[in-house]
Amino acid sequence: MFLLDILKKPPETLRGHLDDFIADTLARCTRCGKCYEACPMTRYSEGLSNADAKQVVSGVLDWLKQTPGNAESVAWLKVCTQSAKCADACPEGINAMKMVRVGQMSAMGSLGLPAEQAKLSGREAKDFFRVINAYSQTQMSAGQVEKWQR
Amino acid sequence: MSASEKITFWYGCNVVRHGDIIHGAIALLEAVGIEVTPAGGAGYCCGTAKDGNLRAAEGMAKRTVEKFNAHGTGQVVSWCASCDRHMNGFMGEYTQPQFELSHFTQILHARRDVLAAKLTRRVERKVMLHRHFGFHEVDVNPLVEDLLRLVPGLTLVESGTAAPGHMCSALSRVPAALKDVTRGLCDEAVARGADTVATVFHSCHRLLCALEGSEPFKVVNYVNLLTESMGLEFHDDYKSWKLAGSEEAVIATVGRERVAAMGEKLFRESMLPELLKQPVK
Ligand code: SF4
Repeated sequence: MFLLDILKKPPETLRGHLDDFIADTLARCTRCGKCYEACPMTRYSEGLSNADAKQVVSGVLDWLKQTPGNAESVAWLKVCTQSAKCADACPEGINAMKMVRVGQMSAMGSLGLPAEQAKLSGREAKDFFRVINAYSQTQMSAGQVEKWQR
Repeated sequence: MSASEKITFWYGCNVVRHGDIIHGAIALLEAVGIEVTPAGGAGYCCGTAKDGNLRAAEGMAKRTVEKFNAHGTGQVVSWCASCDRHMNGFMGEYTQPQFELSHFTQILHARRDVLAAKLTRRVERKVMLHRHFGFHEVDVNPLVEDLLRLVPGLTLVESGTAAPGHMCSALSRVPAALKDVTRGLCDEAVARGADTVATVFHSCHRLLCALEGSEPFKVVNYVNLLTESMGLEFHDDYKSWKLAGSEEAVIATVGRERVAAMGEKLFRESMLPELLKQPVK
């Protein structure tokens, strides 16, 4: 196992990295629920008013396994604002904030779940890059845009 | 990093609304003796907004890292908490960055003695910092507070609160939370007698700057407070647009020619609603 770890090449794709992260998280997470309990955002979701921390985390781990998680896990994924309290709270040293983010990706259907099982929208803001380019025109010279942003 | 070294200043995407912040930040880096290669906008996107399309996210991340490697500075200094987090947590995990990543606040703070000598103008303000606790990669709040303490004439009013999330944009997806944070900020600033609320990140500035229209304090990014003390002036266009009020007034303030150059349809459909939207508390 140790030799295999040494020989293992670092991932060269985002998907490869996510697969490694998911495997590591599933192997190490004890489902203790401390990450959920540390979250300052849960009070903003009615769906979480009576939620059990361990159940919510189990649901998130289901998303990591590319299986639709329970309703409480979706409610948690929806209110995450990246406060990072969860990451600091995890006794296993798991980046729980990243766990939630990867759970969101899965719930958007980005990891391969069929669209009908997706629970979050993966759509970005309308005209995102056109708007960025338009604002740039107003705040920089044409030369700066060309030099700094191409 | 020695004072004569070169850096790439990675300002990000959404901050392009705030040229005053970008130009001011570059002026501050140069003032402490750094040679700056600015990089940002769509061409240097980190891909963090592409969680719904991982192929696109990966393409953007790889292209951006390759461009930074090609700069050859060996040092990328981020402005945006979200870009910084995405580089550390995702992009750097499957690419081969040939640079160190630091945050703008760390670079300035490490050179605060040099900076202090350039801050010669008095800025007579009672300033309270708008803080978040979510950017755990870099503890920016004490760094910015230390920098503001260098400004002659400026009184820093200690804030006893910090908002969830790494920036206010993260709170936008939970409107009730953004409302609570906005109300709490206003109440605290008034209770502590601050005449200025200083924002740290651009997205907080974007969402809060229009409070000036209804609250008894100004909203200024900390970069502008530092450059003001250096005797430099960078106008906050975005705030003027947000405070304009009506649709017609916004268009007049932005300028009809500029609106035409950006594209009237794009402006009306995808920019005007944001500029008309006011903070809710
Ligand atoms: S705190 Fe860590 S170990 Fe406990 S449930 Fe959360 S991620 Fe798993």
